[in-house]
Formats: sequence, C-alpha cells, structure tokens
Amino acid sequence: MADGWLFRPGRSLTRRLVWLASAWIALALIVTGAVLTYQFQESALRRLGNVLAETIDEAVIATTVMPDGTVQTTPILDARTLRLLSGKYWAVAEPDGNGGLRTLIRSASLGNESLAVPRDLPAQLAGAAGINITYNSVGPNDEPLRVAASLKTLPGRSAPIVFLAGIDRSDIDADARQFATLAWVTLGLLGIGLLIAVFLQVRIGLRPLYDLRDEISNVRKGKAARIERTYPAEISPLAAQVNRLLDHNQDVVERQRTHVGNLAHALKTPLSVMLAEASGDPSQLAEIVRRQSDVMKGQVDHHLRRARAAARSQGLGERTPVPEVLDEMSVMLERVFQSKPVEIDWRAPDALGFLGERQDLQEILGNLMENACKWCARKVRVSAGASGLGQMIVVVEDDGPGLAADRYDEVMKRGARADEDTPGSGLGLAIVDDLTRAYGGRLTLGPSDLGGLKAILSLPAAEV
Amino acid sequence: MRILLVEDDVDLSRQLKSALSDAGYAVDHAADGEEAHFLGDTEPYDVVVLDLGLPKIDGVSVLERWRRDGKTTPVLILTARGAWSDKVSGFDAGADDYLTKPFHTEELLARLRALLRRSAGIASATLACGGLRLDPRAARASVNGEPLRLTSLEYRLLHYMMMHQGRVISRTELVEHLYDQDFDRDSNTIEVFIGRVRKKIGTDRIETVRGLGYRLTPLTGESEAA
Repeated sequence: MADGWLFRPGRSLTRRLVWLASAWIALALIVTGAVLTYQFQESALRRLGNVLAETIDEAVIATTVMPDGTVQTTPILDARTLRLLSGKYWAVAEPDGNGGLRTLIRSASLGNESLAVPRDLPAQLAGAAGINITYNSVGPNDEPLRVAASLKTLPGRSAPIVFLAGIDRSDIDADARQFATLAWVTLGLLGIGLLIAVFLQVRIGLRPLYDLRDEISNVRKGKAARIERTYPAEISPLAAQVNRLLDHNQDVVERQRTHVGNLAHALKTPLSVMLAEASGDPSQLAEIVRRQSDVMKGQVDHHLRRARAAARSQGLGERTPVPEVLDEMSVMLERVFQSKPVEIDWRAPDALGFLGERQDLQEILGNLMENACKWCARKVRVSAGASGLGQMIVVVEDDGPGLAADRYDEVMKRGARADEDTPGSGLGLAIVDDLTRAYGGRLTLGPSDLGGLKAILSLPAAEV
Repeated sequence: MRILLVEDDVDLSRQLKSALSDAGYAVDHAADGEEAHFLGDTEPYDVVVLDLGLPKIDGVSVLERWRRDGKTTPVLILTARGAWSDKVSGFDAGADDYLTKPFHTEELLARLRALLRRSAGIASATLACGGLRLDPRAARASVNGEPLRLTSLEYRLLHYMMMHQGRVISRTELVEHLYDQDFDRDSNTIEVFIGRVRKKIGTDRIETVRGLGYRLTPLTGESEAA
C-alpha cells in the first residue's frame, strides 16, 4: 500500500525520505509518550498503595476481638482520619453472607457513610486472604478514591474481618495529567525538531543531485560544454555518463560533417571536369552539359546544406568567440576583394560569444559579409553586440547601391534555386536564412545609412 | 606569365592546362603536393593555382611551407570544400583568393587576371621594426617570421606607425590616416584598433604616451639587425 503512492516513480525523493522518517519518528515518539505516562501513573498508584497498606496495618493493630466475638477498634492517631470528609478513610467490615460487606466500624472522617465496594470484591477477598486488593472508587465527598481492602482473620474470632482504607487520589490524578501534558508537549517539540533536522539532512544530502541538474541545464543552455564538478561516489557515474553522451553527440556531429564534406568533394571535381569540358564549345550538347552541371551543383549545395542543418541541432554547449570570427573573415575577404579594394570595419565586444558552432557562424557571417563586399563601393561595416536575454544582434552594411524593398523577400527565399547558386549571381542569403532559423534566430533586411543593404541578424549569444 | 597548376584530377588538369595556355600563360603542372612544393620552391612563377585535396602533401601544407620560406607568389586555391571554415584555413596558410568547385573556366581566368594586376603594384622596400616586418607590396606583415593576420584598417594603422616608428603619434593624426573624412570617427576608435593590433603583434611594441598618443618601438633586446 505504501509502495502504491510513496514509491511511485516520479514522486519527489525528498518527499519520500521525509515521509518515511516522519512516520518512524511519530511511531517512536507515541510509544515513548505512552510508556512514560503509564509508568508515572503506575508509580504514583504504588505509592498510594503503600500509604493505604500502612493505614490498614494501623487499623489491624488498633483492633481487638472482644470475648463475645465482636471487634472494637480504637481511633487511629491520624488527624486526617478524624476530620469529617477529609479524604482519608478507613473501615472495618465483615461479609454479610449475601456477597456484600457490612461495615462494623468506620473512621470519624467517614461520618455515617461507607466506602463503596465493587460487587465482586468479597469473592476476590475470599480467594486472596491477607493480600491487599486495590481499586478505584468514589468517596463520600464525591472525590475520586483509591481504596485498598484486605481480608484478615484475627485471633479469638473465627469469622474473617475485612479492613478497608481509602484515600483521595485527585492530587495524584492532577500530577499524572500535568506529567502527561508536559511529556506530550516535550515529545511533540522533539518530533518537530527531528523533522526539521531530517528535512535539512535530505536537502543537504540531495544537494549534489540539484547541482547536477543545474549543470545539465547549463549544458543544454550552452553555458557550459561538459559536466565539470566532482560528485559523490553515488552519482559520479551518472555525471560521467552524461559527459560520455555529450562526447558521443559531438562525435556524431563531426562524423556527419565529414561524410557530407567527402560527398561534396567526390561530386564536385567531376562536375568541374564536365563544366570545363563544355566551356567554349558552341555545340548544343556542350550547352546542355553546362546548364545541367549548374543545376547539379545547385542540387549538391542544397542537399549538403540540409544534411549539415540536421547535424547541427545536435551541437550542445558550443561557444564561439564572435570577434575572432569577424577578424578572420575580414582579413580574408579584404584579401579576396583587394582589387576593389574593400575596407571592412568591424566592432564587437571582446567577450561576445555565439551560442553555436564556429563553422556555422563562419558560414553565416562569411556569406553575409562576402555579399556586402561584392556589392559595396568600398566600405563594409559590421557591428555586433549583446541585446540581452541571451541574444545578440549582428548588423552587416555596405555602401553599395542597395536593394529595392520589394525584392527583400525574393532574395531571402528559402531553399536553393539552382540559378541562385551559380558564381556571381544571386545573393546567397538563403543559406544564411536557413542557418539562422536553425539557431532560432532571425535575418531581416533594410536600407543602410551608408547607402547600401543592411542585414540584421539576431542569434543566440553566450559570454566567452 | 608563368603559372603553376597543381591539380591531381587528370581530366581537370588537362582541361585547365589547355584553357590557361589558350589564355597566354606558360603552364607547369604538378599532380601531387611534393612535386608542387619542389616546383614552387625552385621556379619563379607569377601565380599559382593550387588544389587543396592532393596526394602526398595536402595543399594547405604546401602553401604553408612556401610562405614560411618567404615566397610571396600570389596563390589561388581551388577547393571542393566550400565551407567558410575551409576557406579560412586556406587563407591562414597564406592564400590570396579561392574558387569553389565546380567553377566556370571564365571565372578562374578572371580571378587570375585580378590577382596578377594586384601583385604588379610598385615594389617598395620592406619596413622593419625589431622582429616586426611589413611588406607594402604584398600587403603582408609578420612578427619574428610568423605571418600576421591583419584587416585593412589594422594594416593601415601598423603601416603608418612603422613609417613613423620611434615618434609619438597623436590620436588625431592616427584617425586622419586611418579613415576618410566621411567615415565615423568616435573617440574610442583608435583605442579599439590599437588594442587589436597590440593583441596581434605583442602588447609592448606599442607604447602609450599619456596625453600625447602612441609610439611604436622595437622590444628591448631586439636589435635592428633582427
């Protein structure tokens, strides 16, 4: 039954541990409380019993049997038994033959009253001569009484005589109640204290699990590449396995890239041969080969991109420094476009990082910046900066002729049209748009105050 | 014009060779990295067309060796790997231009013409400052023989400072030589570029003279003969 809900998978571990501990603590404390209060009451009653036995003994000593067989008892020298309804009483009685007792002599404190006698007492007494039998009763003043009775046979009289002594037990009861209250309150406080201790212990004990959860979440968010901390022996295998899984992911991504690259290499050289063979040949066959090779090239590029995009979504936790990529791209493109010449002015904070793979950022910025270099008159401006909420904005502008606003959609159209990919034609923005979307970013176009096109990228950012 | 064509594919080599010959180049052909390295090292070519995927030694390594030996011949890389990361590693090795396969022969010829036009600039003396060298003809700079990767703005800044080495140059003067009049010149610009150049050539080579500007000096212990 407990397994039914407490151990159901998905239940909080903390709750499970705290529940078990509280059940155990509650049980232990209840038993302890019960034993303590019972013991206290028992020993109080035993003390009362001793007092009563003493009173009975005194009454026996004060009792004499007359020659005619009757008994006489001189009053005991105890002030409480002399004062009326004082709470301490004694009596001498004899069985009346009907299963009851007839009081012969009573203490002054009893007045005309008798000590109440349970119905089965005479029978019990008959079976245990000389032994004190104690029971609870109600006194002449309606006070709770503890009564002891003993059956004695006195010399000179054959019929047995019953001595009774009673004492008010309301003090004892009050003591017991007070003790019980104190005990339960103390145990309750102890229980609460223990529960708090258990809760803290569980929280502290499970701390490494929470840490591990945070680290894994950081990896997912890209704030960390691996699980770095040292964990207790119980969960360090788990951390190691997570790292192995991350490595494996990385491997798969790398392998996929390599395959894709090999495929490109394998297809592109033959295509070059076909293109070169057909170039300069005016025949119709050569024209067809030229056109179809261009179509094939476009198809190859398109499918390579798709494959790369699929491999990409696996890349966890990579961080790429943006200034480095901007620097290498600028150096390279300025060299390529040296005959213009082109001047690229890039600005980015040193700590700005891209939350993704270097190759992808190179692909995105390379295409955008190459495009700007192609169309600019002389100048290309790139500014990057964090925009808060884990995002960054990269703006690439040029001072070229720009583009009419109604053509923005056209040049960003997703997927590759073959003729867009032939060298020198098309803006190559489709691949940038694909990649940016794969990272949950956005590419928008607009006019630049330099005169040309302005491409605005939003991408996930991370500090490096 | 002498050209070295490095390409291992037989058909493509044959086609390119005839296209280049038709365009008026004297063509030498190498089919693997070893042969390419040897030819490039011994013959004075005007331009090189280098395929990256080569037997024996790959194209990037061949290029790196040439550049390390001080060869400044312009090199155009042919590669099937069109990813920007591949292009970047090619340029890091010292390439001047790239062409992704498959390409049109006309495109290749146009690029080669541009490369040759570029390298035909007037030769001027190499500038030196300690271990720092700058070759204005090839627009390349190096530190202790290691090629530097500079953007044109960084190059222009370094060039100006090397022409006026040892002298304190004010920020205003640097801004004027870095930018045309019409470009933005916020006050931080020079600090940004000085910072980047320092990162690339070594922090201590450019000294900040408080309130006056910057000064380029050889490192202490670096002799002029370096």
